[in-house]
Amino acid sequence: MQDFLELAVSAAASGCVYGLIALAYLLMIRPTGIINFAVGEWAMLGAFGGYVLLTQREWPYPVGMAAILAGMFVVGWATERVAVRPLVERGAPILAPILALLGMLVVFREAVSVSFPPDPLPVPFPFGIGRLEIAGVGGSYQSFFIIGVTLLVFAGTWLFFERTVAGKAFEAVALHRRAAALMGINLSRVTAFSFAAGAAVAGLGGLLVSPNISAHYLMGVPLAIQGFTALVIGGVGRVEGALLGGLLVAFAEQLTIRYAPIPSGYAQGVPLLFLMIFLLVRPTGLLKAKE
Amino acid sequence: MRAGATWLAALLVMSGAAFFMGEYYNDVYRKLLLWVTLALGYNFLFGICGQVAFSHFAFYGIGAYSIVIFLFQVHLPFPLAVVAGIALCVVFALAVAIPSTRLEGFYLALATLALGQLFIVVLNEGGAVTGGTGGIANYRLPDIFGVHIRGPWYTGVIVALVLSTYAVLLRLDRSWFGRACRAVRDNPEAAAAMGVNVTRTKVITFTLTSALAGLTGMVYAFVDNTVNPPIFGIDNAFLLLFMVIVGGAGRHAGAVIGAVLLYLLPFWLSPLVGHHHVLVFGVLLVAAILFQPKGLISLWDKLQARVRRA
Amino acid sequence: MKLFAFLGALLAAGAVQAQDTIKIGVITDRVGVSRPYSEPSTEGLVFGANEINKQGGILGKKIELLIEDDQSKPDVSAALARKLIDQGVVFILSMSLTPATQQQQTVTMEAKTPQMTPMNSGDTLTTQLPNPYFWQTGPLGSIQIATLLAHARSKNLKKVALVTDNSDLGQLIARFFKSGLEKSNIAVVSEEVVPRGATTAMPQMQKVRAANPDAVFLAGVLTAENVLIFRAYKELGLKFPIHSSYNLSVPVYMTVAKGLIDGVTFVDAYDPDKPQVKAFEAAYRKETGKDPFNMHGYGYDGIHLVAEAIKKAGSTDKEKIRAAMQSLSYEGVMGAKGMKYSFPDGKRAGFDPNGMVVRVYEGDKQGRVVYTGQK
Repeated sequence: MQDFLELAVSAAASGCVYGLIALAYLLMIRPTGIINFAVGEWAMLGAFGGYVLLTQREWPYPVGMAAILAGMFVVGWATERVAVRPLVERGAPILAPILALLGMLVVFREAVSVSFPPDPLPVPFPFGIGRLEIAGVGGSYQSFFIIGVTLLVFAGTWLFFERTVAGKAFEAVALHRRAAALMGINLSRVTAFSFAAGAAVAGLGGLLVSPNISAHYLMGVPLAIQGFTALVIGGVGRVEGALLGGLLVAFAEQLTIRYAPIPSGYAQGVPLLFLMIFLLVRPTGLLKAKE
Repeated sequence: MRAGATWLAALLVMSGAAFFMGEYYNDVYRKLLLWVTLALGYNFLFGICGQVAFSHFAFYGIGAYSIVIFLFQVHLPFPLAVVAGIALCVVFALAVAIPSTRLEGFYLALATLALGQLFIVVLNEGGAVTGGTGGIANYRLPDIFGVHIRGPWYTGVIVALVLSTYAVLLRLDRSWFGRACRAVRDNPEAAAAMGVNVTRTKVITFTLTSALAGLTGMVYAFVDNTVNPPIFGIDNAFLLLFMVIVGGAGRHAGAVIGAVLLYLLPFWLSPLVGHHHVLVFGVLLVAAILFQPKGLISLWDKLQARVRRA
Repeated sequence: MKLFAFLGALLAAGAVQAQDTIKIGVITDRVGVSRPYSEPSTEGLVFGANEINKQGGILGKKIELLIEDDQSKPDVSAALARKLIDQGVVFILSMSLTPATQQQQTVTMEAKTPQMTPMNSGDTLTTQLPNPYFWQTGPLGSIQIATLLAHARSKNLKKVALVTDNSDLGQLIARFFKSGLEKSNIAVVSEEVVPRGATTAMPQMQKVRAANPDAVFLAGVLTAENVLIFRAYKELGLKFPIHSSYNLSVPVYMTVAKGLIDGVTFVDAYDPDKPQVKAFEAAYRKETGKDPFNMHGYGYDGIHLVAEAIKKAGSTDKEKIRAAMQSLSYEGVMGAKGMKYSFPDGKRAGFDPNGMVVRVYEGDKQGRVVYTGQK
């Protein structure tokens, strides 16, 4: 039982990271329908930002973190400007920007790969390494930090969509682009903002997970895949779905490894099988969008 | 009759070229032809029938591994091994196609992506059967009906494969089946209203193209005489998609252009740009999509149109 | 990377002056998963080639290195091997992933061209294919476990855990570790795999803890994933000793695993006290201004072995080189003091079974040698 509680904290932390990546996808998919697989590389950029500002230059953590988020905001906006807007304006089929973004994935990864040494690089823990016990449940400082920050981000995003005018504009675009345009909502601004926010959220995810897994140029693709799995399971319709999906994926993964009586190697196949079955049975995800 | 002569001429010229190339160029040529075959099949599935699937490469792998396992572990005679391999691909393809007709767009993409990854996990964990993470090596193409096929002659086999695949797909494309596929791609509801059996069309297309990929895989197994998991990874599935898109989805010529360009590009870039070559590749890819979202084949079309106008 | 270009330019400058050169092919990975290991070994190789050229080259001719990048893709690797052979290389050095080296062998066997990997440690490379033109001088997985066990013998281990990753080399090393352990009558009570891209190794290490082993043997070769294992170990408050494969000898762990590796023992092929090592480090530092580490030594020894074989053969005839390499005995930078590379009894794996050392991490630094060989 002790094992389970400890694992629960670790799985929750991993689940939050997947949830953040899923949220990043969601922020971009909802208003535009574009799946941006480069979110994994954006997470990688956040991690490397952490290496440069926090490890190499030793900036104080809050300052570094804010700078990284701001930087990612710009990266997201620039990506939309360069790889998405020209195609959307020309009326290209929806697959075109998705592929252009896949190309950007390669560009981001290689740009980092040629600029840094090949080994994984350390990113500092904001609270150091230590163990915390809350209500009898124990875990590392970093795990609780990740969970805390993620809950804040999701709460903030939910409030944004539910309670603010700008958020409602987003929803309107997501539900019906043309109608939203007719109502005077600036489509390109919404799109640009969604990409910028998506990049910031993904970068945050990368920064949070990298003290554990280190910053390295191959970290993007596995995160992108896990995040996408989380998104599909949780459903694209609601923000909370991304977090739910992330937690489910992480728990399925880690509980299977710990408790399932199959050799470890096969355990990697379980989330994949889970996903495939899910898609056949309930492709729209667990949480339905509001009508 | 004239059409038959053209095909024969193509076969002779393309195979004959193999006898004049060194070992290295022969190797690149063979692998290029295999990619062209895969791209043609994928173009039919994705470009003409509109099914976004990432499982194509998994079937390539199933074909390759199955022929090696049937020949060298189960010790079947060659013709039986080929038939068994194709049968296996068809069975798997049906098993995947039938449930996946319920999925649209990115759900299909995701399910087939998961399938591709699952395939690699199975290969890695397959122990003695699949050779695990190291794969299987140390085998040779057995004599087929007493004929010992090696070197440039094998390239001839590959040329025959490309041309026959092209012929089959071209035929299908121009038939009512091709029209049905396009209808399913463009507007499934309208297609159904016009009497097209959407599900059956999708299943047949998926099964056919996947079986073709499997057959291609069988031919691949004897090119390097090695099969291992990294060859069939999902990176290559994405590259295949890029080839078809950059060349021009829905057009056979587009698939060929895309495959030739994207396969050869790293070979040209690497000596020019050194270790930055993947970065340049990525940039070129993005540029190609930004400037020609309909594929590079549209450049050719524009050129032809201009010539015709002149 | 700039260092690489600098060394390469030096070499090119040297070769251009020569009328007639000896072409040696190098297949390495500059952009893919093997890059953290391929890059430094290839740098060591280029440095060694420069050194040989400065001393007059081989048989009076300068070495010309033809370097290709296989991106860790095995089928590209095979094609590049053919390209190099067409360009007239007399030897190919394989500095990339184990499956890439394997796939190149199909080509070199057919073309009867000598090929060697000075760094891969997969045991099956010399056994899967009966290729008389291929040698391997990297420290084999089987040698690593035997050396680790010789050191651990005094600890009276009865049951241990084996943890690795899902890379091909990690799986291969784990296989040989397991058979080595079982041969010594040590029970493997837990076998865990941390897959590439994992965000934590907590569930695997919890399983290990539940099995209550006397020690854990680490066979993984992916740096980030190994660090996850160490973190989970610390978080769970585990106390049993960790014995690791040679992967832990790569210096990156000193920066990326700070505070996590004190007391971990690992096998290495690099003894910093060895006179050849000291000379190598000084020369490298002088030429490039940077400090080399053990990976550089593999490449350095590799090119020297090839040079020695060609010198011994007295010609660039591939058959004569093959015979010369097979009968070679050479003491290089890697290995314990006094160790020689050799290929007795027709074997093609040349790293002396007694040539590894066991070292221990003291704090965050790679510490002293605590055991040598297998006795």
